[in-house]
Amino acid sequence: MPEEETSTVNTAKYDPNILPDMLPVYYKRLFPHKPFYRWLSYGLSESNIFANREFSYTLHDDIYIRYRCYDTQSELENDICSTCPHKIDIGAVMNTKPKNFRITSTAMQPVQRELVFDIDMDDYNDVRTCCTGATVCLKCWKFMALAARLLDAALREDFGFEHILWVFSGRRGVHGWVCDYDARHLDSRGRSALAEYLQITSNVTINGVVIARVQIGERMHHSVRRALKFIEPLFEEIVLEDQNLFGDVKGVNKLLLMIPDDTARKDLEAYLKKTHDDGVHSRTIWATFVRYANSMRTGTANVWTRKLKNIVEEIQLGILYPRLDINVTKGMNHLLKSPFCIHPGTGKVCVPFNCNAAAKFDPTTVPNIAQLLQEINAFDDKSKCQENGSEDKSRIKDYKKTGMFKGVVVFEEFLRKLESSLKAKAIDVSDQTMEF
Amino acid sequence: MDFRRKTRARVVRKPQYENLEIKYPHNVALYRTPPIEDIKINEFEDLALERLKVLRILEQANSKNLRFLSDEWKESVNTELNREGLRGYLRLCMGNSVNPSTDSNKYEQELQARRRDYISHFILRLAYCRTEELKRWFLTREMELFKYKFSSMSSTDIKHFLELNKLEYVPLNDSQKDSVKDGLYESTVGQSISKIEMLDFYKVPFTQVLDLVRTRRCYLKNGFAYVNTHDFVSIIAVIQLNEIEHGLQSAQKLIREVEADERIFHLLKSLHTSYTGKDYALNKEGIVSPESLDQLSKKSFPICMRGCHEYLRTNHHLKHGGRMQYGLFLKGIGVTLEDSLRFFREEFTKKIDAEQFTKRYEYNIYHNYGKKGSMISYTPYSCLKIIQENAVQDDCRGCPYKTNDASMLKVKLASYGLSSAHVQEVMGYVSKGHYQLACGKYFQIMHDSPVELGVHHPNQYFEESQNVMGNRSTKKLSNTKQANRNRRGGPENAQVMNADEDDELWNTAETQESTYNSMQAEKSAWNEDLDLTHIDC
Repeated sequence: MPEEETSTVNTAKYDPNILPDMLPVYYKRLFPHKPFYRWLSYGLSESNIFANREFSYTLHDDIYIRYRCYDTQSELENDICSTCPHKIDIGAVMNTKPKNFRITSTAMQPVQRELVFDIDMDDYNDVRTCCTGATVCLKCWKFMALAARLLDAALREDFGFEHILWVFSGRRGVHGWVCDYDARHLDSRGRSALAEYLQITSNVTINGVVIARVQIGERMHHSVRRALKFIEPLFEEIVLEDQNLFGDVKGVNKLLLMIPDDTARKDLEAYLKKTHDDGVHSRTIWATFVRYANSMRTGTANVWTRKLKNIVEEIQLGILYPRLDINVTKGMNHLLKSPFCIHPGTGKVCVPFNCNAAAKFDPTTVPNIAQLLQEINAFDDKSKCQENGSEDKSRIKDYKKTGMFKGVVVFEEFLRKLESSLKAKAIDVSDQTMEF
Repeated sequence: MDFRRKTRARVVRKPQYENLEIKYPHNVALYRTPPIEDIKINEFEDLALERLKVLRILEQANSKNLRFLSDEWKESVNTELNREGLRGYLRLCMGNSVNPSTDSNKYEQELQARRRDYISHFILRLAYCRTEELKRWFLTREMELFKYKFSSMSSTDIKHFLELNKLEYVPLNDSQKDSVKDGLYESTVGQSISKIEMLDFYKVPFTQVLDLVRTRRCYLKNGFAYVNTHDFVSIIAVIQLNEIEHGLQSAQKLIREVEADERIFHLLKSLHTSYTGKDYALNKEGIVSPESLDQLSKKSFPICMRGCHEYLRTNHHLKHGGRMQYGLFLKGIGVTLEDSLRFFREEFTKKIDAEQFTKRYEYNIYHNYGKKGSMISYTPYSCLKIIQENAVQDDCRGCPYKTNDASMLKVKLASYGLSSAHVQEVMGYVSKGHYQLACGKYFQIMHDSPVELGVHHPNQYFEESQNVMGNRSTKKLSNTKQANRNRRGGPENAQVMNADEDDELWNTAETQESTYNSMQAEKSAWNEDLDLTHIDC
């Protein structure tokens, strides 16, 4: 759908107070029930894979219901449409029907669950100067886009996963869902090892400021090298230009704090004070720092040639390496907000996006629920005027008439690949079990 | 030679020599099939206690902060094994196999050692299959024993072992190795490039070597890890781990039947209660009022908790991580649910109104005390768990020795009244990453005590501090035991927790180990020799 058209419609302001009035229409006409079911049923490739899945809902006034589950697509659809949850969370597939958990004799346990990732803009507050708090702009989004691309590459290259769905969380964060069979069946230990593998930064508090530090060590692990390949080309654009992170005294101090050695830090501080006035552009500060570090590294043996020999790379990683909430990834039973939910705060749809084109995705133009409803109304009006009563036109899926369209297309593309690999696997299995 | 064998046979009443060799063909066993021979109840007990001693020695070596499998660690373990007369295990751990044709007497001893090792493992499975906590302690220890035994094997031994257990691992051939060589050079930690060229590499699914993955010690591609011979133990260890885990599960199913025999029931039960370890989930030793916390935090809190307390007093808020860490600690030292609610309410409502507090935070406190939601009374965090926490802006969770930058930590310690010489002493440990030792040093300084405390748990720190200051008596052990038994009730209790806590608990596999340690420390204080025979059966 052409963007110009949506932008002309994009006038409806979202008002959280009327969310309850809009949700019924959204769930009835726009929520992609069919693809949603296609996803979570995984072609019913395993028994009870859909029926034992936990759904939980947040209703009005933060009423929270857990352990919902459904046998069929229509059951799920009907319940969503009648409860109209403000938020839908997806849990694990259990060994028994979650809603029966109190009456079954055995303890309920998760048997499979997508491997999930949660990246929250909040964790970047110390390195973004463009926005604060809940607001987000295109500059902030670059952190997210980079994080998603980098993780996506790591998951594919190192772990061999293929079916990864990236979802905009509705305000400023990003969720990743890894849906490969092996990922879904990873046990807690595997998840936790994998999450820690991907978390190369460790946070240190210094003078009340939390700083993310990285230690590369003797040789650079291939995963760290790859991360640098993503980060280095963007460091100047994001950190030096967009954010001008070291552009004031506070920023320079941040740079200094990233150096894990007291004396070296003091030396550098003195050097920077001597060579530059306060408030010089980040580019200049960074160039001076890199030059200084390099000259120290080529000199006689000192802390810069040993402990700090990778400091330039370490600082770049410290600022831009994805900041994961790894507890979300570690737990097999962790609930995570479903794609195509409406974010109650912003009214925006949690739309999937194409990770390769993450940089082009614009969170500020993701439609909110009020816009969406206006869009379908406008479309309905138009088609009514044009061809009264034509059956063909009204067959068009409602979401295709709106700015949600792109998100659904990404989702369906993801599903198509997922389903074809499930089919290939099924054929494989039947070949193997064939008896002659 | 024949003669000698007969006399020994009369003493030990062993099955036939040849029989032993078939049953226990290798020093390192995977414990796949339970033994089926009949043994006397005395021997049953002996074997159990003997193995328990071994596991305990391993645990103690850890509490001495020796790096696992380092030379010092090995030496310490070997000395202890020797001192306790556990020569059979020592032999198995040292790995220098005897040649049967040259020294058949020694070889026979070795076979006997294998047998004792094998049978006792299965006995302890019965004793340790009852709760998740016990299982985890047992698993951790058994894995240490296994890795120790495995690490002493020669490459021929390993080959023999793999053949016996039908584990087929074929190293990459030259062309396969060549195709991934850049990755191997880059990402194989602990080996020089020239070594890497020589070494054999094995390609296995990454799930088989999670410890190597976690710490980024090997090359990973497309879901496969490339593991060199030196790290091979990681692969086998996972097999062993799964084997024992499944074994414990099946043991749990059988346990009722086994315990129908009263003699066994008493033995297993007493092993169980004697080695549960201290449980801080419920305080049994007195009540602490919130009013006394300001005072106590200065004297008896480790700095992770003192930091939380001060943060709360200044900012009138704690984020979730800090609330969990501090709230559970308070529960452990004896702040009642009502007091806890009052304490947090009074502090939080300096910033938010009472209604908000009720809506947003009360549930969390009830939950921690096991009064809402899953109804589990949660255990206060141990050092290992706290050390794992990553620092978060505007929160005070985590171990300050780790999450604070050195310069800031120095300032903080000085502000707590440490002289600069003392600060240096503490920082000496911090710089090497020995956070718990640093904490022990801090304890020693603050309490002017002659020895450093081995700190494993903030609540243990608190209790020790109270003991030193004479506010609490030490010998409550028997009460504690009783309380444990009552509280635990049955295996169901622990199982509920299993479902969603398992992952987290696994990571902190040593949580209960550390609580156990603290009881150990307490015990050894008045029982130097760690005599196990006092356990009544």
